[in-house]
Amino acid sequence: MKHSKIASRLAGHETDGGETPPEVRFVRVPSIAERKLGSEYVAPMRLDPRILDQMQATIRSLESKYVETLSAQVSMLQVLAEPACKGDREAHDRLYAIAHDVRGLAGTFGFAMTGRFADSLCRYLEQGGHGKHDSTVIRFHVDAIRDTLESPGTDVTISTETLDALEKLIAANRESMRAAG
Amino acid sequence: MLREVGVRGMAQSVFDKISVLVVDDSAYMRHLLHTLLQALNVSEIHLAINGEEAWELLNRHEPDIVITDAAMVPGDGFMFAKRLRSLRGRALGMIPIIMVSGHTDIASVERARDIGVTEFISKPISPRGLYERLLQVIDRPRPFVETPTYCGPDRRRRNAPYAGEDRRGAVALV
Repeated sequence: MKHSKIASRLAGHETDGGETPPEVRFVRVPSIAERKLGSEYVAPMRLDPRILDQMQATIRSLESKYVETLSAQVSMLQVLAEPACKGDREAHDRLYAIAHDVRGLAGTFGFAMTGRFADSLCRYLEQGGHGKHDSTVIRFHVDAIRDTLESPGTDVTISTETLDALEKLIAANRESMRAAG
Repeated sequence: MLREVGVRGMAQSVFDKISVLVVDDSAYMRHLLHTLLQALNVSEIHLAINGEEAWELLNRHEPDIVITDAAMVPGDGFMFAKRLRSLRGRALGMIPIIMVSGHTDIASVERARDIGVTEFISKPISPRGLYERLLQVIDRPRPFVETPTYCGPDRRRRNAPYAGEDRRGAVALV
């Protein structure tokens, strides 16, 4: 209690008018390493390159399976783009869910540009409500995502320029919507 | 006589003693995190597909660490983290939360911080990023702060020069 009062006063919450000061507590949490290892614990723990290698090998072992999944997802994006652009709510939501999955995972498996295009599409879909999206922007994104898979050797500069162009298209689109009220 | 150290060395001896709850609505992301944690030799891994299921598993297994996605339905990662931090006075309310999110805008990161999330990893995740954050929460915990408006790890990470009153320095740690 005494500690709480001191802490509250130091936190600048105690008043002269006799109001109950709010509680402020600082708690030192023992480290999990200390707790689990007891006397075997030696600080500080450092990143072990051998463990990191093992984790990276794990990623590599999942890569071929992921490429299959990604290809299927990109095909589905192409199927969904048309109805999503025509106002089909379910198709729109599924398209977003797949793009969200791709933006989260593609980069981990070496498809950085695929992930970036998917991220750009997600950010575009997150702005504004359903039915307020330009079909051209959605289609261009889906095409760009497909291209990164079909032409993996594409110069990064070209992909980055495409991404910049899409961002400009989104900005122009937003501006024209704003002007239209 | 030299003590034989395992191939994985010191870190393994911690990882094989901890339990982790992974919360993500993406099946592939759950699979990825599960596999990476297995590569670290984490002994106990629990998987949940949303915040609701995570809450049940949290109370049943009381894991050492939570790794959660941000955007999920029903019960997203922010709501789940907030609910967890509301367990005031219980050790479970203080467990480290690592948030993994594709939303990397400053507003999302600040929201996570102010809810009491311990570490934030932006997607796509890398093995190094995950490993470093895990080491951070396992070995270098920040003091835990409880105030009427905030409950979570100390949000101040650096000892930057500060001209005002140093309240932290004056408060004895419990």
